[in-house]
Amino acid sequence: MDGLLTLSNDLAAAVERAGQVVFGVNARTRLGSTGVHWRSGLIVTANHTVRVDEDITVTRPDGRSIAATVAGRDPSIDIAVLKVDAPDAAVADLGESNAVRVGHLVLAVGRGPCASWGVVSAIGAGRGPRSAGGGLFSLDLTLYPGFSGGPLVNAQGQVIGVNSSGTSRHLQLAIPSAAVTRVVDELARRGRLARPYLGVGTQPVSLPEALRQRFNLEQQTAVIVVAVQPDSPAAGAGLLMGDIIVSLGGTSITDPGDLASALRPDQVGEALTVSVLRAGEPRDIRITVGERPRRP
Amino acid sequence: MIELADLADHLRRVTVEVMDGGKSLGAGVLWPRGCVVTNAHVARRSVMEVRLVDGRRLEGRLLARDGSADLALLRVAGAGVPAAPIADSDAARVGALVVAMGHPLGVRGALTAGIIHAIGPITPGGRAWIQADVRLAPGNSGGPLADASGRVMGLNAMVAGALALAIPMAHVERFVRAAGVEPP
Repeated sequence: MDGLLTLSNDLAAAVERAGQVVFGVNARTRLGSTGVHWRSGLIVTANHTVRVDEDITVTRPDGRSIAATVAGRDPSIDIAVLKVDAPDAAVADLGESNAVRVGHLVLAVGRGPCASWGVVSAIGAGRGPRSAGGGLFSLDLTLYPGFSGGPLVNAQGQVIGVNSSGTSRHLQLAIPSAAVTRVVDELARRGRLARPYLGVGTQPVSLPEALRQRFNLEQQTAVIVVAVQPDSPAAGAGLLMGDIIVSLGGTSITDPGDLASALRPDQVGEALTVSVLRAGEPRDIRITVGERPRRP
Repeated sequence: MIELADLADHLRRVTVEVMDGGKSLGAGVLWPRGCVVTNAHVARRSVMEVRLVDGRRLEGRLLARDGSADLALLRVAGAGVPAAPIADSDAARVGALVVAMGHPLGVRGALTAGIIHAIGPITPGGRAWIQADVRLAPGNSGGPLADASGRVMGLNAMVAGALALAIPMAHVERFVRAAGVEPP
């Protein structure tokens, strides 16, 4: 049974390795949560576990408690970034979360460290937050109380995601590490994520077979512009009511939800090409992604 | 995974079913010198029925019982009864692979697999457990929690939420020695 013994030792080593970057997060009254030392001085945790803004402490892997402040947070991706002064603490070794496949063996690690194991049961299938890129990991493992915000770890002990039970007790999700890395710096710098914004209202439409054949479109549906906000990026780019949006930035748009998921926070200010059918003719329009106006 | 099947076969041979009046109450682990260790909440009478994997039913006489430690020791009369190899429970590591053998919900000789979640008390100042991320159900009580080599690390005793709680074998050995039976 040498194979099993090797696997067992590998799993224990992976927990030990990941445990060196696991911080306890004490930012709610009852049960603490877990955080990952993502970059030097920055702890990533689940936003929903940070209930207070002041008097937050984190517990280092060596058991010492130190003060932390909220550097930034975003409820829709459920990530908060805490700032700490711990220059000597180890930083997470990030695995290639894009290489994760359904069926891969994974571990969830909590403070102590303590751990649970299971497999990735689906990728991007759940109704997760759009800004995570839609590629959330659904997990067949137990997220024990306090595990939210902790690392999802591969068999080599590398961090491939941040665990979150979200607002439901029945979901075990992880935000892939690549998606977390994309937002950590912006959260730390600005305190929040910009919401990308075009300023169009759309409805789904089916594309007539003749149009699909003529313009070599594989998609069955697209969206039609039914409203253009004044002074919005869409208005500035000259999008008109009745335009049929087929793709945005190279991504096919088949329903209104695709527009939101095709945009990432780091694209605010970037110019993208929106391909439309206007009066039955294709047209490419450059549009500069704006930031959604904040509600007063 | 042929190896997990081998592990299951091996553990089935050293795991018994503890019964009373034909009713299954839990599991037990075969100990040298014809003994069986199980939970006190499984062995509630001075004479219990002990069913081996080959179907033999032996009489198990209660040698010692400690309700607060939730441990009991039975002696069975029978020839050719094997004994379980014991692991050094102090060497347990968080993340290590573990398997549980028992009769959950009446399913005889069922194997469940997982990892060690943590080692220690679940409430401050409480007794130390091997806490395992392994699914247990009624009927697993008294059965073995074993490592990847099939050596018994703990005696499954309780469930807390989704966690399996096992009594470390070091505690079991101490209990058996106090009862006057030498350890293996």
